[in-house]
Amino acid sequence: MSAGGQTHRLASGGLIDRGKPLGFSFDGQTMSGYAGDTLASALIANGVKLVGRSFKYHRPRGILTAGSEEPNALVELRSGARREPNTRATTVELYDGLVAASQNRWPSLSFDLLSVNQLAAPIFVAGFYYKTFMWPGALWEKFYEPLIRRAAGLGRAAPESDPDHYEKAWAHCDVLVAGGGPAGLAAALAAGRAGARVILCEEDATLGGRLLSDGGTIDSMPAADWVARAVEELGAMPDVRIMTRTTVTSAFDHGTHAALERVNDHVPVPPEHQPRQRLWRIVAKRTVVAAGALERPVVFGGNDVPGVMLASAVRTYINRYAAAPAKRLALFTNNDDGWKTVDAALASGLTIAGVVDARAEVSAGQRALASKHGFAVLNGVVDHVDGGKAGTGKIAVALAGGATATLEADGLAVSGGWNPSVGLTSQHRGRPKWRDDIAAFVPDGGPVGMVAAGSANGVFSLAGCLKEGHAAGAAAAADLGFGNSAGAAPSSDDDATYALKPVWHVKGKKKAFVDFQNDVTASDVALAALEGFQSVEHLKRYTTLGMATDQGKTSNTQGLAIMAELTGRSIPETGTTIYRPPYVPVAIGALAGHHRDENFHSVRLTPSHHWAAEQGAVFVDTGLWKRAQWYPKKGEKDWLESVTREVKAVRSGVGFCDVSTLGKIDVHGPDAGAFLDRVYINTFSSLAVGKARYGLMLREDGIVYDDGTTSRLAEDHYFLTTTTAKAGPVMQHLEFCRQILFPELDVQLASVSDQWAQFSIAGPKVRDLLKEIVDPSEDLSNEGFPFMAVREVLLRGGVKARLFRISFSGEMAFEISVPARFGDALVRKLMTAGEKFGVTPYGTEALGVMRVEKGHVAGPELNGMTTAADLGLGKMMSTKKDFIGRVMAGREALVAPDRMVVVGIKPVDQSRRLRSGAHIIKKGEVPSPDTDGGYVTSVCFSPTFDQWLGLGLVTHGRERIGEIAVAHDPLRGEDYEVELCNPVFYDPEGGRQRG
Amino acid sequence: MVELDWTATTPLSRIHVAGRHGAAQGAAGVTLAELSDFELVQVMARRGQWGAVAQACAEAYGKAAPARPQAVTAQGALLVWSGPDQFLILSPRGAAVEKARTSFSGMASLSEQSDGRSLIRISGFQARDLLAKVCSLDLHPAVFPVDAAAATSIDHTAVNLWRGEDSSGEAVFFLLVFATFAESLWRTMLDSGAEYGIAIDASGAWQP
Repeated sequence: MSAGGQTHRLASGGLIDRGKPLGFSFDGQTMSGYAGDTLASALIANGVKLVGRSFKYHRPRGILTAGSEEPNALVELRSGARREPNTRATTVELYDGLVAASQNRWPSLSFDLLSVNQLAAPIFVAGFYYKTFMWPGALWEKFYEPLIRRAAGLGRAAPESDPDHYEKAWAHCDVLVAGGGPAGLAAALAAGRAGARVILCEEDATLGGRLLSDGGTIDSMPAADWVARAVEELGAMPDVRIMTRTTVTSAFDHGTHAALERVNDHVPVPPEHQPRQRLWRIVAKRTVVAAGALERPVVFGGNDVPGVMLASAVRTYINRYAAAPAKRLALFTNNDDGWKTVDAALASGLTIAGVVDARAEVSAGQRALASKHGFAVLNGVVDHVDGGKAGTGKIAVALAGGATATLEADGLAVSGGWNPSVGLTSQHRGRPKWRDDIAAFVPDGGPVGMVAAGSANGVFSLAGCLKEGHAAGAAAAADLGFGNSAGAAPSSDDDATYALKPVWHVKGKKKAFVDFQNDVTASDVALAALEGFQSVEHLKRYTTLGMATDQGKTSNTQGLAIMAELTGRSIPETGTTIYRPPYVPVAIGALAGHHRDENFHSVRLTPSHHWAAEQGAVFVDTGLWKRAQWYPKKGEKDWLESVTREVKAVRSGVGFCDVSTLGKIDVHGPDAGAFLDRVYINTFSSLAVGKARYGLMLREDGIVYDDGTTSRLAEDHYFLTTTTAKAGPVMQHLEFCRQILFPELDVQLASVSDQWAQFSIAGPKVRDLLKEIVDPSEDLSNEGFPFMAVREVLLRGGVKARLFRISFSGEMAFEISVPARFGDALVRKLMTAGEKFGVTPYGTEALGVMRVEKGHVAGPELNGMTTAADLGLGKMMSTKKDFIGRVMAGREALVAPDRMVVVGIKPVDQSRRLRSGAHIIKKGEVPSPDTDGGYVTSVCFSPTFDQWLGLGLVTHGRERIGEIAVAHDPLRGEDYEVELCNPVFYDPEGGRQRG
Repeated sequence: MVELDWTATTPLSRIHVAGRHGAAQGAAGVTLAELSDFELVQVMARRGQWGAVAQACAEAYGKAAPARPQAVTAQGALLVWSGPDQFLILSPRGAAVEKARTSFSGMASLSEQSDGRSLIRISGFQARDLLAKVCSLDLHPAVFPVDAAAATSIDHTAVNLWRGEDSSGEAVFFLLVFATFAESLWRTMLDSGAEYGIAIDASGAWQP
């Protein structure tokens, strides 16, 4: 691979590995770079200036920064399913074969048709959409929105699902240090030496922060050597963990932070078994934010032309990446730090076209440098820059005296000063405070346990950063009681002056950008001020200043400054918007982590699951459970045929169903009966040992909560069951009752849902089947084991089981419980022993059919709106005791005579299908909300009656039994006559289940 | 009619396959195994009886019942704290439930959970790295020493977690999870630990 295309690669220097050339492509053009490059530095080395088109005006844009704050150089990285939009080229580590494409241009980056938007710029002002697309409303969905979406927007997400894996992890430490520059390293060293557990997170792949770009001398050695020694020392500490490629993005309560680790973003495809990204939740007792500072641009005409770059970024590209953003460079600065870029450029053999310094005085050293290298130092500001997709052209300078001058350069480095990174420290709604001496916001405290150090705290000299970082690390450790010595603070004689003179905005005729990413100009801010959107929060929403992937990291302060000037307020009076997590964009995949596709949530399997799967059962998701819905047999054409067969088999022979999903709770203790009396509407203290009873619970507000069968196994031991859906909530409710409401009762609760495999065995031949399983010594006759009896029985082969004579199907039925480890064996035995009786496993559909035939209420009727009386269970409400929900159930509206109550419903035309959700209207009335008389809640095709049957909640339902009404189904466009009837269609006398 | 033969399964017996999983190179970072053939009793002191329960426990098992999050090795059993005024007794399969019934008669309520939980052993030099992906607790040796226990949630599933005696100088963790969640959690752990290489041991009986 040749470096032939690398026209702007410096001959020597940089932290790149020239022994490892890498090939990549940008917009289909093949280029080369080196290991250690970012995509941005490689593009610069290849002489690329134009990398994207702007959001609104489709203006040509180049690279502005060298970090995660980049607003312009957003690309689509990778291809196919791995295509990742809006990726900052400045943070993408180059790898061999990297593919990137520019965004928001058509048909090509160089020739972009939508750049005509610039001509229409006068109408694309702030609030354009609000003002323009107001009328007619009907056009919005069909015309305006598609048009806007095509014209605006950034990259395209891949339509395929992401093939890579993401995950989440927890980490814990005493001291978290966010940022691995000089202040962060010094903090980690101090805390680590003191004996604290330390986690040091660095966004970059390499530790060092600005040292990587600016060098310097620390403890009398070159900065790079000092960093290497610091890393070595930290690495030798067993309780210090260094996490590179990891950005601390968020600070939550109690020292919990989110940090995004880009584990494998720097390779084309993650190695097998490894995630692409890992989202950490780091719990720290103390946090030192050493996140550095971000340089800010100045707002002047054409400040967005490719080739205009932040001065510190120019330095980074030259010093760290040996890539020259320009060969003849001009500098516009208002502070001494900007001059370091001149040093870097000259040291690399580049030409300085001139320095525009807003300050009246520059130092003697700077003057000497200028005369030595023959460039002018102009006291003034850059008025505007000409240029376009090819880069900068003439740079027009407004001199302090009023005259003008012109510089010719192929690049302009700009420094408007530095803003401490106040994102993390401000995320708990703490607003940063303004410091006039550096004309910047600095943290004003922070979340509990968090301090800022170094340039994140407004200290911009290397000596100051080292000192403050060390002090913050030492203080955090000492505060936590770590008594070891934090060692000496690293020192540096680099105590450079900053000497900033604020310059925010150079007024002129040309478009001057405040927010590059959202194409917000100085005149947009002025328009917002004029129209009354003067609050910073309004300014943000009205102009979109500070929104999108960069959240205004390079634009907010200038926007505030302009608004402050326009409204005659100071910048601190104007204030900042709220800082919210995350500090940098986080992919949804990382937030989802492992929980996608089949791992979206955990799955619960019944004891008979694997057996059912062998039978080819169709499963239905019921909460977390997989339940067998029906068991198709060969030749059956649809679910209805299978379900009908299963129901008929139960009604005429015997079948079984896994009901292990019902919640099972042991209620123990001398006061267990009294406790149940308070949580159920009916009485359980009077229940005899060895008996089961149906119970109904209300919520505090008198509405039905849950139902189930509860048995008394011993004087001080009840076995309570809940519905499948409410197993967890009922357990919580009972614990709340036990611990908070009735602490005086001696009751203990244990969830035993998973301990037992439980099957309902139903049908006229149930005893025949059970006799094959149960030890012959057990009496299963009606006398020996009457309806609602419960007891432990011995099974053939010595296993003990619990047998409950309860029925949901309306048939003669038992439920049998065995310890879960025998569940699989039991289901197989039921099949082999039942073969001669035609035993048939049935699923939840057949279960549902039989409960509708029998008129049992379930989820659709226990819908959080019905009372016990609505369900026809009002008589169960004991009048001899108090219970949860009793008083509230007596409220006027809950006992009103016109409430909707449960009735049976069957179509008059017996061949007609009944549908859930159909409304019940009196015959002859026009359907309307006023004439609505209730609705159909549950339906089934009943094989027993050979027609569709249903349950419904109908106004005055019980008085209307026998009435012919109309089922009105506007959703399906159906109206048909139905008969309101007794909900118990099947065996209303109950003779079959009682035997 | 013949006596029936009852073959027991364990919560993980269908998917517990001994051997190497995930990264195949180098030493496995994590070793997993499901342990079986235990009896598990949840002991809940009756009102005002915790002192008596702790005392009775000392008499029957040689160690007082744990009153804080700990897993105490006692005579023939492990006593695992599971909440205020309650703990679990983990014993090899035998007559453990009967022994507990006798020992705490009248002073505690007992629920057998032998079939309600799956017991998983997690060891290896990267056991903590795997657990960090599923568990929010700080398992640093200074914070979660040998015998430490916790009632927590892993992968949205309630679990009891404790640290046993080190093996070959490495920490060993035990996880007790609701049986019907076990397969799901097992798969999550295999996915989470795949990058370290997982050795799945043959399942075996739990020993105190």
